Formats: sequence, C-alpha cells, structure tokens
Amino acid sequence: MRIGRSIGAAVIAAIAVVALAAPGLAPQDPYRSGVAMLDLPSATHWLGTDDLGRDVLSRMIYGARASLAIGIGAAAVAMLIGVPIGLVAGTMRGRVDLALVALIDLFIALPGLVLALIITVMVGANLRNLIIVLGAVMWPPIARLVRGQALAVREAVFVEAARATGGTQVWIIRHHIWPGVLPVVAAQFSISVSFAIFTSASLSFLGLGIPPPAADWGGMVRAGYDYLAINPWMSLAPGAAVSLTVMGFYVIGTSFK
Amino acid sequence: MVRPMLRLIVRRMLLMVLTALAVSALLFFSVTKWLGSPASMMLGQDASPQAIAALNAKYGFGQPAITQYLHWLGGALRGDLGRSYTTQQSVAQAIAIRLPVTLELTTWSVTLAVIAAVVCNTVPVARTPLRRIVTAVNLVGITVPNFMLGISLIFLLSVQLELLPSTGWVPWSDGMGAHLMHMIMPVATLSSYYFGVFSIVYRAEYQDVIKRPFIGVARAKGLNEWRVAFRHAAPNAILPVITFVGISVGQLTGGAVVTETIFSMPGTGRLFVASIEGRDFPVMLAIGMLIVVGVVLMNLLADVAYTIANPQIRHES
Amino acid sequence: MRAPVIGRRQALAGLAAGLLASRVVHAATPTRGGTLTVGLANDAKTYDPIFSVQFTERHVLYLAFNTLVRYGTDFSIQPELADSWTTSADGKRIVFSLHPGVTFQDGTAFDAEAVKWNIDQRMDKVVNSPQRQLLEPIVASVDVIDRLHVAFNLIEPSPVLFSLLGERPGFMVSPTAWKQRGPAFASQPVGTGAFVLKEWVRGSQVVLERNPTYWQTGLPYLDRIVVQDLAGSVIGVQRLMTGEIDFVSELSPTDVRPIEKRTGIVLNPIKGRWYFTQWHVNTAPFDNAKLRQAFAHAIDRDRLNEITMRGQGSVSDGPTPEGLWWYDPALKSYPHDPARAKALLAEAGYPDGFAYDLSTPQVTVFQQVNQLLQEQLAEVGIKVRLQPIANSEWYARVVDGTTNFTPTRWTQRADPDGLLYILFHSKGFANTMKYRNAQVDTLLEQARTVYDMPIRKRLYSEAQQLIVRDLPMVPLIFGAEYAALRANVGGFEWIPDQIPRFRDLWKTAN
Repeated sequence: MRIGRSIGAAVIAAIAVVALAAPGLAPQDPYRSGVAMLDLPSATHWLGTDDLGRDVLSRMIYGARASLAIGIGAAAVAMLIGVPIGLVAGTMRGRVDLALVALIDLFIALPGLVLALIITVMVGANLRNLIIVLGAVMWPPIARLVRGQALAVREAVFVEAARATGGTQVWIIRHHIWPGVLPVVAAQFSISVSFAIFTSASLSFLGLGIPPPAADWGGMVRAGYDYLAINPWMSLAPGAAVSLTVMGFYVIGTSFK
Repeated sequence: MVRPMLRLIVRRMLLMVLTALAVSALLFFSVTKWLGSPASMMLGQDASPQAIAALNAKYGFGQPAITQYLHWLGGALRGDLGRSYTTQQSVAQAIAIRLPVTLELTTWSVTLAVIAAVVCNTVPVARTPLRRIVTAVNLVGITVPNFMLGISLIFLLSVQLELLPSTGWVPWSDGMGAHLMHMIMPVATLSSYYFGVFSIVYRAEYQDVIKRPFIGVARAKGLNEWRVAFRHAAPNAILPVITFVGISVGQLTGGAVVTETIFSMPGTGRLFVASIEGRDFPVMLAIGMLIVVGVVLMNLLADVAYTIANPQIRHES
Repeated sequence: MRAPVIGRRQALAGLAAGLLASRVVHAATPTRGGTLTVGLANDAKTYDPIFSVQFTERHVLYLAFNTLVRYGTDFSIQPELADSWTTSADGKRIVFSLHPGVTFQDGTAFDAEAVKWNIDQRMDKVVNSPQRQLLEPIVASVDVIDRLHVAFNLIEPSPVLFSLLGERPGFMVSPTAWKQRGPAFASQPVGTGAFVLKEWVRGSQVVLERNPTYWQTGLPYLDRIVVQDLAGSVIGVQRLMTGEIDFVSELSPTDVRPIEKRTGIVLNPIKGRWYFTQWHVNTAPFDNAKLRQAFAHAIDRDRLNEITMRGQGSVSDGPTPEGLWWYDPALKSYPHDPARAKALLAEAGYPDGFAYDLSTPQVTVFQQVNQLLQEQLAEVGIKVRLQPIANSEWYARVVDGTTNFTPTRWTQRADPDGLLYILFHSKGFANTMKYRNAQVDTLLEQARTVYDMPIRKRLYSEAQQLIVRDLPMVPLIFGAEYAALRANVGGFEWIPDQIPRFRDLWKTAN
C-alpha cells in the first residue's frame, strides 16, 4: 500500500504540474491548425498531429486543465451535498435517518452515467454545468459512507455524551463526529475526483463534453476514434492520460482508507 | 421465511410502480418544455412548412403537457409505447429488437466478471505474483474508462494484428463463430470494470470470512487449503457480491452505453444515447422506464437471493 | 420540333475531365449472378417515392423503380421509361413516348394511364406529397393520348421538368399496388425496377432480389443486392477491407487513407458537394453588407480545402462547381485578404471586434470546418463561439429561424434551377437566408422558362454574380468524396447527384 501511495502521489503531482504549467510546457499552440494532418509521431510532433493538423501532445497537456477542474470541482460539489446529509443521517436516529437512507438507496441504484447524460443534454455541456451535474450524481455513495462512519463514531461517543452535561447535537457533531469522519471524507474526496474525471471523460466521449475546439481528453478520444488506423495516438494518448489520472487519485484515496 | 419475503416482494413492487410513475412524470414535464417540434427533424432538409405543420398536428404537439402525459400513460399501460420520432417505428418493437443484444452482452460480462473475481481472489496463493497480478488487473479494470479499454483493444487486436473484427454485431443466425468473434472485445471491455468492483467487495469479505472460527475448524480437520477456500470460505464471502451483481445488472438495463457505442452494437444503450441526442422523446421515455423497472427488479432479486443464500437470515426465520 | 434538351454534348465541351464524371471501373466483361453487399448509413423512413424525402432512400428507390428519364454521367437527360419526347412549338406541351411492353413487378401494365396517375398523386393536395411544391409551379395537367403516349401540359415552358422526372417525381409507382397496400407500400414497394424489395429490417438491412421480368433485356447482372446498415464510414472501411461488404460511399479523403494503396480495393472519387455558411440577411447584424464582406475576406478557402479535403476538393466561388454547364469561370468571390477584412469590420461599425455564435452540428466535416473558420476569423478580430447542436435538431432550427449563423451543404441537382431557385429565390422553400433580390428573382424566373441553352447560361451567370456579390452566404468549398469498391465489382459510374446507382453493376468471381 505504501508503494501505491507514493506512485499515486507522484502521478497527481505530475498532472497538477502539467495543468498549471501548460502554457510553458506545451511545445505548440494546441489550437493552431496545420496542413500536416494525422501525421505519426515525429521530431516536431512527439505524438503526431490530429485531423486538423494540431499537435496532439500540446492538446493533451492542455487537456489536464479541464480534467482537473471538472474532477476537483465535481468532487467538491458532491461533498457539499453528501457530507451534510450523511452526517445528519448518521447522527440523528429515527425517522430522519430512515428517510435519508431511503433517499440515498434510491439514488445509489440509478446508473450515474445515464442520469448525467440526460441532464447534460438538457442543460447543455459547458464547464460549470458539468461540474454541477457530476457533483449531483456522485453524492449518494459519499452520503452513505459518511453516515456509516458517523454511526460508528456516534456509538463510541454516545456514552460519553450521555454522561456529559447537555451537549447539543450540533456540538456533538462538530466536536466528536466530524473529527472521526474526517479521514474517511478526505480519502473519499480523492476517490470522488477520480470518479468525476472518469465519468466526465465518458460523457465527453459520447459527445457531451466541453465542445470543440477545447482540448478535452474525452473529446479528443472521441475525435480520434475514426482515425485509429492512421494516427492512433490521437485517441490513445488522451485515453492513457485519463486512465493515469483516474488511477492516481483512486490509489491515493484507497491507500488512506 | 416465506411470509416476510412475500411482504418484501410486494413492497418492492409497489415501490417500483410508484418510482416509475414519478420518474415518467418528472421526465415528461421537464423534458417536453425543452423539446422542439419533432416534425421538422423527422422530415429533414427537403420538407415544406405545410408538411411540418401537418405532422405536428398529427402528433398532438399543441396540447398541454398533462394531456399528452395521460395519453402516453394510457398507451403505455396497454403496451403501446408510441412511435419513434426518428424512425417512426413502434418504440416497443425497437426496444424489443435491441434488448436481447444488451442482455446477452450484460449476461456474458457480469457472469465472466463474477466467476473471474471469485476464482482469482479465492485461490489460496497469498503473497505470490498471482495476487499482485490480480490486484493490478483490478486497478486497471476500475480506473481505466470503458472507452479507453475498448479502443485499446480495437487498436491492438483489430487494427494492428487484424485478429478480430473491430465493430458491429452479427446475430446468432449468421453463424455462431462470427457472432462470438464480435462479442469477445465488448465482453472483455465491459467485464473488466465489474471484475474490479466485484473483486474489491469479494476480497474484503473474504479476508473477514477466512478469519472466522469455522475455517480454523475445517483446517484442523485436515482439509487442504483449496477445499477450505472454495468449499467453505467462498460461499460465505460471495454474499455481498450478490448485492453488487444486482445493482450492476440493474444499472445495465439501460444498456452499457459506452461499450455499445464503441463497438457499434445494436443494443438499448446505444438507442438510448441516440434518442437523447436526437430528442426522440418516446424512445427516451420508454428506455427510462425500462431502467427504473430494471433497477428495482434486479435489486429485489438480489435481496431475495441474498436472503435465501445467507444461512444466518434463513435460520433466523 | 425537338427542343434542345438539357445536356447537349457541345455545351459540355468545357467539362473538366474527371471532375464530375467518374472513372469507369475497368473490371472484366459483365458476369452474371452474385450478391452485392452495400454498406450505407441508412436513415430511410420510407421507400414510397411519393413521400420520399431522405437522401439515402434513393439508393434503394433507383433499384426498385425506374424513372421516366435518367441522368447521364454529365447530368444529361437520357431515355429510360420514356423512349423519346417532343416539345410543342410554344414549349408548353411535352409528349413522352413510353417504352412498350413494360410491366410493374406485380404484373400491372406500365402505360400512359400509370404515368398520369403517378403525377396526379404527387400533385394531389389530399395526398400531400412533398413533391407537390416542385411540380405545382410547372405542371398544369397530364393527358393520356394513347397507351404509350402521355402529354404534360405546362403552365410555362419548362426545361426543369426533365430534371425532375429523373429523380423523385419521376419514379413510377404501380397504381394497383399503391392503392391496395396503403401505408404498407412504404416497406413493400412495387415499381418497374430491376430489383424487387424483398425484406427491410429497419436498423439492419434491406434485401433486394433480381426482377425476373425486368424490361431492359440483359439487365440486371446481379442476383441480389443487400444494403447493410453502417454506423459510420470507419466501420464501412473496415468491413470493406475484410470483404464483408463490396461497396461503401460517402467516404472523406481522410477516411480512405488506410485503403488508398490496398490491393483488392478501388477508389472512385466524386466532387461537387457545395459547402457554405449562411446567415439571415434581412435582420441585424448580418443585414450589414460590410460585415458580411469582412467575414468573406477573412476566410481562407484554400486552407479549408487543404485540411478538410486533403486538397482534393476545390475552392468555391459560387454555387456551381466546374464541369456543370452553368458554371461561370469568370465568377469570383471575395478573396482571402485579412487586412481588408479588418478594415471592413471597422467600417461596418465594429472597430473593436465582433462576436457571434456559429451553429455546429455533429457532422465531422462541419466540426472541422467550423474550427478552422473560428481560427481564421479570430485573426481579424471576429470571435466565433462554436455552438454544438444535435444533428436531428440542426436543420429544423435553421428552417424555423432560431439558428442564424451556420455551415450547410447541398449536393448538385441536374438542373441549375434545382438549387439556385430553392435557395435564392425569395419564394424558394429552402431560402432560410431570407434573401430577397428582385433582380435575382426575375432572372431565375426567366431562366426556368427558356429552353435555349446559351440564353439560360447567361441568365444564370448574371444571377450567380448578384448572389455572390450580395453574400447571403459565404461560399467555402466543393467537397471531394469517395466510393470504395472491391476490385471484382464492375460497371460503377458516379452520377453528379452523388447517389450511387447499383442496377448495372456486376461481380466477377474474384
């Protein structure tokens, strides 16, 4: 697990650096078309060119920005929704808990990609919408997890609280439940980022990502699908980037659990 | 045991109907506003304005949403799910043609994933390369998106090595060999994700089970490690996997959207995506309902199976 | 008197060799038998010619049906069900002499009554055929003279009629079967064609079988044709390589790269599909001529051709590609001149730049063209945002006016009136640019009632000059597309309307 943690951290750090330093790092303008279309890798174009003659490597580097933005943004939104719900459900007993559990169970079973698909088509695909939609689709597992953890902590704390003099629910949550839940939440955040990047790339692949000419990994894979027999790197490179990024965040998250 | 189970089934069925109604109404009222007139999309570039108006009237687009909804509901209860805006084919028929494809893909993939997950994680070869390989495959399955896996397989096996036909689907009637050849990559792609998921769940449970007293007893009796693993530990560890299988299959009733798209398989998933992009409302609504029913049904089946399989619950009643 | 029919050889002396006509595939002499499997992204809704609207439906219609006249490879009008025709002195009555001994696939005789019935159906308000709007302005009535002679009485003299009778309005349907089968006719059509439609599995394939009583002796060579549904050109190319299909078309120059040098596969180019961007010229902001000119000067059409068509298409200066008789080589659109574009932009009232949305349907070529346009326009200070739109919605929005600025494309028609009228006449039903120029209207109305070729050519030249000057659209390129066939398929020739004709093909053993 320790190896996993290091590798995961290295990957995330690398992607972050790439995203931040994109303008300096990318050898060429990712939006500049050229007459050398679908060229195989060469000295000037390390991953070749795409169907409009643009440098695949530069586009891949810039793609890190959108992916990280969506991944982290969506995970944050999911946390903002799921954590409070999970906390409330896990701390309060009785009907509130039952109602929330029913709600969570209902949403967990629905296919996330399908839901995201429908909503995105309705509201239109742009950065802000994607972050919100994905966040809205990802909160149930977080809520369930937080609830479980909160329950565990609550059992331990209950006795103590019973002996202490009149602490309100909110106080208990803040001072006892939350610190117990926090490590799990942090780990889950990373996992959520990986899931968000995974799902947004799938949406982009289906044509519902940030529209062209944006350098977006999923969209690049989609565009390159027709040209696998000519320059496969147009698809394989961004696809590998997505996989690596998802893997990095996932491994880090699971290693802390 | 029978009576509580019957109660469970009835309750779940009721839930299914309620959910279906709620979701259909929700879809209907939120989506009809956003739809344009399907008539001009149906008729294409050479159509005249009169033709468009006539078709619109025929489909009742001027009417209020509630009227249209009740009209649809009435039809749906009779089995008439309307006609597709894009092909003008009966929606029920369009789905009926595609459902077997999706079911076949799903069945193969989930079955393969379960068997592989259980076998790979039961084999008592701790601390060997196999364990590491399985962990690596798990990771790849869970993190590498379907489309990347699929495209990589296509590139490797179809484009480079020309071993397999890359896309499309051949019905059984056209030859079993050809059919299976076309299924290999889609199944491999789809099952890898579930292999990862099931592996994780199973392994966690298995670690738990293997530490229980009765395993120690079995070992003490002199049973070899393999028998202990497969005959005693596995059947217990598999229980939570059943729940996950239920959830997975439920989610897949709408079709494995990305896999079907990459491999151009005529399944409900691809139809669903096409209907959403094409604003083909009757189809979208019908498949949406299918998903709701599928999810609730599969969860119910999984819970029933779990109850039957779980000796603790069985003996409680 | 036989009036000059469209497509006299002399008039086509300037036909650029091979630009529109296709290469004839030189396989061996015709072999009988075999099944031809065609791959097609099929969006057919009906195979009833009276209601047919979709482009891909005609691939099958030309097999199951014959037209009264047919197109040659240079769009010349040739006999088919009609052996010959004569035009009256005033040009308002055309008598067709029908080929004797022709029967429909259900045994009904094909005669003048059948022709009259076919045209009457299409003009009938109750039947409401989409072709009514094409025939109504031209045909007053149809008379039966005798079994094999039918007369068209025209409102005005009309050379356009011939081109119409070579496509949708010209498909002769069996009246008996149509009346009998009703809506089922759409999937069980009956014509006089060389092939009978046996089976149509929507989303899967269409199967046609040889018509044993076909009236053209010797034809067809093939026993069977299967039109297989394809999800896209990439799959088509793959299946062609493995031999699963024998023919696939609508391939872009990039699509054919993997098979260009491959043995066993032959490529057959067709050019002429017209790509342009259009906008509403009757309202702001594009009612401003200088703004439109700024756009036109900013666009580098050579580069569009180079990148999207690998240089194999050609630059468009107007609606007509080289090789068609109504092409005017003197016609030039606004040249690529970014400096001039910037100046005009300022003159138009946008010295600090201009921003607008460009509708982008999910068609690969449009997406590529739009991204290039965005780049080119940005260089002169015009910021274009690409608005993705679902294919199914795209044209509907263009028609109802919600989409203002969009790329679009049209295939060529056999008669200049075909495209020019519907797009640029103020009453043209495809005039979504809201273009109104009284002079252009007059020219087009005149040109469609004159049989004299040189006069028509002059009129269309003038009209096109005005249209190109006014910029209701910015002409971009003429596309290049390919049909790819297995080498053992013989007899294929492109017709410039870009609908492949399979009837006369044959397949040798290998």
